[in-house]
Amino acid sequence: MQIASRGAVAVAPDEQRTLVVVFLRGGADGLALVPPVGDDAYHRARPRLRVDGRSAPALDARFALHPRLAALHPLWLRGDMAVVHAVGSEDSTRSHFEAQDLMEHGGVMGGGWLGRFLRVRPATGSRALAAIAFGTQLPEVLRGAPAATVLRSLDDFTLGDGGPALAASLAGLYQVDGGVLGAAARDTVRSLERLDALRAAPYRAAHGAEYGSDEFAQSLLQVAQLIKAGVGLEAVSIDVGGWDSHFTQGTLIEPLMLRLGEGLAAFCTDLGPSLATTSIVVMTEFGRRVAENASLGTDHGRGSVMFVMGGGVRGGQVAGEWPGLALHALDGPGDLPVRTNYRDVLAAVLARHGGQGLLGRVFPGHRVQAMQL
Amino acid sequence: MDRRRFLQLGSGLAASSVLACDRLPQLLLTRGIMGDSAPFAPPDVPYIDLVSHAISRLSYGAGPGEYARVRALGRTSHDAVAAYVREQLAPGQLDDGRAEAVLRRLSMLDLPVGELFEYEAPVVLDSLTRERLLRATLSRRQLHEALVEFWSDHFNIDSSKGDCRWLKAADERDVIRAHALGSFGAMVRASALSPAMLWYLDGRTNRRANAGEQPNENYARELLELHTLGVHGGYTQRDVMEAARALTGWTVRGLGESSFGLGRVEFAPELHDDAQKVVLGEVIPAGGGEKDIDRLVEIVCAHPATAIHLSTKLCRRFIDDDPPRRAVEWVASVFSGSGGDIRATLSVLLATPEFLAVRGTKLKRPFHFVVSALRATDAASDAGPALQDYLSRMGHAPFQYPTPDGYADDATAWTATLLWRWNFAMALQRNRIQGTRVDHALLERRAGGRRALAAHLLGRRPTPDEWSAHESTPDTLALLVASPAFQRF
Repeated sequence: MQIASRGAVAVAPDEQRTLVVVFLRGGADGLALVPPVGDDAYHRARPRLRVDGRSAPALDARFALHPRLAALHPLWLRGDMAVVHAVGSEDSTRSHFEAQDLMEHGGVMGGGWLGRFLRVRPATGSRALAAIAFGTQLPEVLRGAPAATVLRSLDDFTLGDGGPALAASLAGLYQVDGGVLGAAARDTVRSLERLDALRAAPYRAAHGAEYGSDEFAQSLLQVAQLIKAGVGLEAVSIDVGGWDSHFTQGTLIEPLMLRLGEGLAAFCTDLGPSLATTSIVVMTEFGRRVAENASLGTDHGRGSVMFVMGGGVRGGQVAGEWPGLALHALDGPGDLPVRTNYRDVLAAVLARHGGQGLLGRVFPGHRVQAMQL
Repeated sequence: MDRRRFLQLGSGLAASSVLACDRLPQLLLTRGIMGDSAPFAPPDVPYIDLVSHAISRLSYGAGPGEYARVRALGRTSHDAVAAYVREQLAPGQLDDGRAEAVLRRLSMLDLPVGELFEYEAPVVLDSLTRERLLRATLSRRQLHEALVEFWSDHFNIDSSKGDCRWLKAADERDVIRAHALGSFGAMVRASALSPAMLWYLDGRTNRRANAGEQPNENYARELLELHTLGVHGGYTQRDVMEAARALTGWTVRGLGESSFGLGRVEFAPELHDDAQKVVLGEVIPAGGGEKDIDRLVEIVCAHPATAIHLSTKLCRRFIDDDPPRRAVEWVASVFSGSGGDIRATLSVLLATPEFLAVRGTKLKRPFHFVVSALRATDAASDAGPALQDYLSRMGHAPFQYPTPDGYADDATAWTATLLWRWNFAMALQRNRIQGTRVDHALLERRAGGRRALAAHLLGRRPTPDEWSAHESTPDTLALLVASPAFQRF
């Protein structure tokens, strides 16, 4: 095996790149998020759940966005968003647990792909705040990261009352101490000052962006805050649960789609020019059966969609081979097959985050063929 | 709760909240290590003396009274330290009733391997992590605990891979703890056949049922590269392939294919390549069957490069990041001469002039830092999620290092963790870590005042700079725990 180099390379703050991974837990229906409105088979398979092509923002001749995701359409038109369809993993158990685990680990192996990525890529300065996750516990995708914080609030980062006095005393002691710890201490004091400044001033989103009050939007708001503060944030994991739509799919996932679209739209607007150095990936463990079921829902399937936004993506394209929804093209009990391995989508993004040349170590056992995204 | 039920819950999507780590209620809030409020006498010299040095290197730092206790073990400091080393090398003779009483709460870790699967995987990991933290904090067998950490890195297994989610608990108990101060060869053999290791490095799929099948080399390579000879140990690709052949046929029953006998390791003769192998110039004759593994372990453990590799790592842990060559060679010769007797090897290492002369040069890794802070402050802790969070933030959560080389032991890997060390120090002082409590006032009283408490934490009297920094903040305990001197051992 090879062991990562640990040499720290100084990176100017404006070169700091951040990758935000949004995981839709429960198996989100790619055919609802990005319906193939140009395919008759879609309308036949989803007589009650289908989206009317005339009411949905068009992506190209075949696909549209779900109307509840309309907030993302401007990003598409600006070329800041790409969609990959019929994408997923090789896991065919259709079990949430197995599929999520495999997708987050990048195979049957220890540690998550994002954690592994952070470990193998050369450090870009102090990494105390390199990776954060929103939620109650560390997601599998970040397991094995050199440092990862489950964030509840920005207060978690600071020393609290008395912190500045303590940090000042410590800075003096570490100065005298010198050596590697001396330099690390100076770094730490700087980070603390920035974080304290963040907490002190109420946050104002830029460029007219308006975040909702829901948890997802508020998480993104904090991510934007940290990105702008330049504290060295490299990777973020945000979970959005609730996509397991076996019955009355519309009532379950339409509100989720609305929050997803509006939250991401606000985030991208707020970032403005910083969107060029921030990539967002939206993914899920599997898609859903093509045919709707008797309870106005859909069952566990295979292929779904991924969204890639910002970070220099070649947007405005629905990428990946599209097998169509003709019966003979479907997988197993009637599922959209997986024609693109999710790792090849991630590979395209990671390559722009300093991962070029490291992809074989991030996804061992997979012959990486990065998509042209 | 059985596995089926667990999977149902897992698919219930609220996975992350269902799998909450706080299944174990707040029962584990222990009293501190001393369990009493007796006064104690910290060091009273301006430098780290030999006793302070030995305590900081052999243990997770001095708890209240430990310095005085060790000093009293001999007439001179040298005698006292020699007696302390002897005591710590014979952990079985140290009564560890207090630690055991607390750990009875985690009795699931004593279950036969197959029964571990009855628990939710995150509960197994939480229990295992608590066990490591609590033993490191509370056990009197401190050197044994330090070695458990050392070997757990040496034979690293990431508990998030496949069935390792359950099987690592058995590996920790039956391989690492069982052999930490025993025979290195026995530990290598136990590790080779540990169900968790067979999973982690794919040994379970290493088979040769017909001439066309290529063995899986993953474990064989790491056995040579990491566990025994070391990357520059002089083995060849041919040796890796031959070793892999000798290891073919060992299987472990996994969740995917079986519902009973989970984790059971079996030898399948029909999957074993029974022809002759040559590893490192030594012949493993044809027809050895399941005995091949014993011969292989003998060959790789007896190789001179293995002695140098192990000696280098032990000297790095106990002497310096850049281990002095003379000590490495001397310790390696004892390792070889004793047939890989870990206790004999350490007793020589801990008496080398290099060990006795060095002071405070090693950076504590985050786990060491956290545990030493709990010990020094006599904290009561349940070692629960709030405490474990700090280890994740510093990138040092036990059993979660992804690659087989284990967490790094040198300072450069850990300098970026200061922010969280300071944060931890402040949270500890202010009693803001859920499930962990410190009584600062009582501690100061028992130590005999502020200066004495500072000396207790630093292992020597504070310097003028430290003392003036100390005077300038109300959070004195936080300052000491966050200070540069407390980051080292």
